[in-house]
Amino acid sequence: MAVTVLGAATLLTVVVLVFIIAFVLVKGLPGVTWEFLSSAPKDMGKAGGIFPTLVGTVLLPLLAIAIALPLGVGTAVYLTEYTRENQLTRALRFGTDCLAGIPSIIFGLFGFIFFVVMLKMGWCLLSGALTLAIMVLPTIIRTSEEAIRSVPNAYREVSFSLGATRWETVLKVVLPNALPGIVTGMILGIGRSIGETAAVIFTAGSSLRMPMSVFDSVRTMSVHFYILAREGISNENAYATAAVLIISVLLINLVAYSMMHRFIAKRSK
Amino acid sequence: MSDSLDIKIAVNSFRVFQGREEALRGVTLDIPANRILGIIGPSGSGKTTFLRALNRLNDLMPDTHVEGQVLLDGNDIYHPSFDVVSLRKRVGMLFALPVALPMSIYENVVYGPRLSGVRKRALLDAIVERSLKSAFLWDEVKDRLQMSGLRLSGGQQQRLCLARVLAMEEVEVILLDEPCSGLDPISTAKIEDALTVLKEKYTIVLVTNNTKQAARVADDTAFFLLGELVEYGPTKKIFTVPDDKRTNEYVTGRFG
Repeated sequence: MAVTVLGAATLLTVVVLVFIIAFVLVKGLPGVTWEFLSSAPKDMGKAGGIFPTLVGTVLLPLLAIAIALPLGVGTAVYLTEYTRENQLTRALRFGTDCLAGIPSIIFGLFGFIFFVVMLKMGWCLLSGALTLAIMVLPTIIRTSEEAIRSVPNAYREVSFSLGATRWETVLKVVLPNALPGIVTGMILGIGRSIGETAAVIFTAGSSLRMPMSVFDSVRTMSVHFYILAREGISNENAYATAAVLIISVLLINLVAYSMMHRFIAKRSK
Repeated sequence: MSDSLDIKIAVNSFRVFQGREEALRGVTLDIPANRILGIIGPSGSGKTTFLRALNRLNDLMPDTHVEGQVLLDGNDIYHPSFDVVSLRKRVGMLFALPVALPMSIYENVVYGPRLSGVRKRALLDAIVERSLKSAFLWDEVKDRLQMSGLRLSGGQQQRLCLARVLAMEEVEVILLDEPCSGLDPISTAKIEDALTVLKEKYTIVLVTNNTKQAARVADDTAFFLLGELVEYGPTKKIFTVPDDKRTNEYVTGRFG
C-alpha cells in the first residue's frame, strides 16, 4: 500500500515536472535561433533577440555569488570551527533560517531603498548583485555549515596532532573535504538568482541596453520574460526566452556537478 | 627503574577534569627517554586521557581543564608561554583507528613538513622515502605514492600514519593510542617491529588494551585503573611479581 502511494506521488511529481519543461520547450524552442540569441531586442522585445538579457543573466548571478560565497563560507567556518555552540551561534543560526524564509520581493524592496535610493547607486548590476547576495546568503551559510560539520572530526584531530593551527586545518583539511557540499550550496544560490524576478526588477532595473560596467542597469532573462508576458508584448518571444532560461539552468547544473565529480574523483584516485 | 636513565617527560600530580568528572586523579610518573612505556588498564581507566594530555589534544574537548605539571625536557607544556603547535610537532600521535587524510600517500607523509615550511621538492621526496622506510611501508607503496591514502588497507594506513609522524623533523616522542586494535596479527607484528627499532631514536608511549602486546614490546609498564596510576615499573616485574594485587589480577586476566 505504502509503496503504491509513494510510487504514485513520485510518478506524479516527475510527470508534472516533465510536462512543464516539455511544454515550455515545445512552445519556445522554435523561436530559439542563433539570430535570437545573438542580436539585440527591437521594439521593447517584440522583435529582435535577447543578447543583452543573456549577458545580464550570466553577470548578475555570478557577481552575486562572488559576493555571497566568501561571506557565507566564512560565516559557516566561523560558526562551526571557531565558536562553541552557545546563545550567540544559536541566535545567528535562527536569524539565517528566518532570512531564508523571507519572500524575495522584500529583499527587492530593501535593495531598492538601501542600495538604489539611499546609497544612490541607482538601478544597476551591482545593486542587484548585492541584493541577490543577501538573499542567497542563508542558503550558502546553511549548506556550507552542514558540509563542514560532515567532515569527520578524526581528520581535524590528525591535522592538529601534526602541529597544524586551526586555520591551517580549515584550509588544508576541512574546506577541501567540505567542498562538494559548498558547491551544492553555490549551485542552489546561482539557480535561485537566475530565476529571481521580483528582487531583480527593483534593484537591477530592466534596461535593454548592453551593460558596460557594474553601474549599468541590466535586464535578466527572467525579468525579460516577465515583462514580455505581462505587458503582452510577444508571447512567442516570451516562450523562447523561457526555453533559453531552462536550458541555461540545466547547463550550469551539469557543468557544476561534473566539475565537482572530477574534483572528488581526483582526490580518491 | 634506575636513576641513570634520562627523563624525557616528567608528570607531577597531574589531574584532568572533563566537566565535573575527574578523569585523571593525580598521576605522577617519569617517562625515560629511548624506551617504550606501555600503558595498560581496562577501558575507562584514563589511559587514553593521559596519553592525549601529553600533546594537549585534550584541549580540543570542551569543558576540559588540567591541574599539575607535565614537563617535557624540563619545560611545563601547560605553561601559558608554551607553544602548543611546536609541542605537537615534537610529540607525535598515532590514533586507535588509522586515519589517512583524503589525499595522496605522498601528501599524507609531507603534511607536517609542509606546515613547517619545507618547500623544496627534493627535500620532500627524501623525507617521504626516509619516513616510509622507517615505518616499514616503503616497499609496498613506492610505485604508487600519488595514490590516495584511503585506498590502502587498514594495516598499511596505520603504518602510513606512523610515517606521517616520523616525517616531522622535530618529533621526539611518539604516542600510540591502541594502534593495533583494528589490525590483524601480521599488521600488528609489523607495527611492533617498527616500534622496537624506533625507540633507539624516539621515546615511545604505547597505550594498549592488549596486555600481551605490552608484555612483548614495552620496556616499562604502567597500570591505570579508574583514573589512577596503580603501579609502574619494569615490564618484567609488572607481569611476574607486581606489588599491587589489582595489577596481578589484571595482567593474569582475572578482570578487565
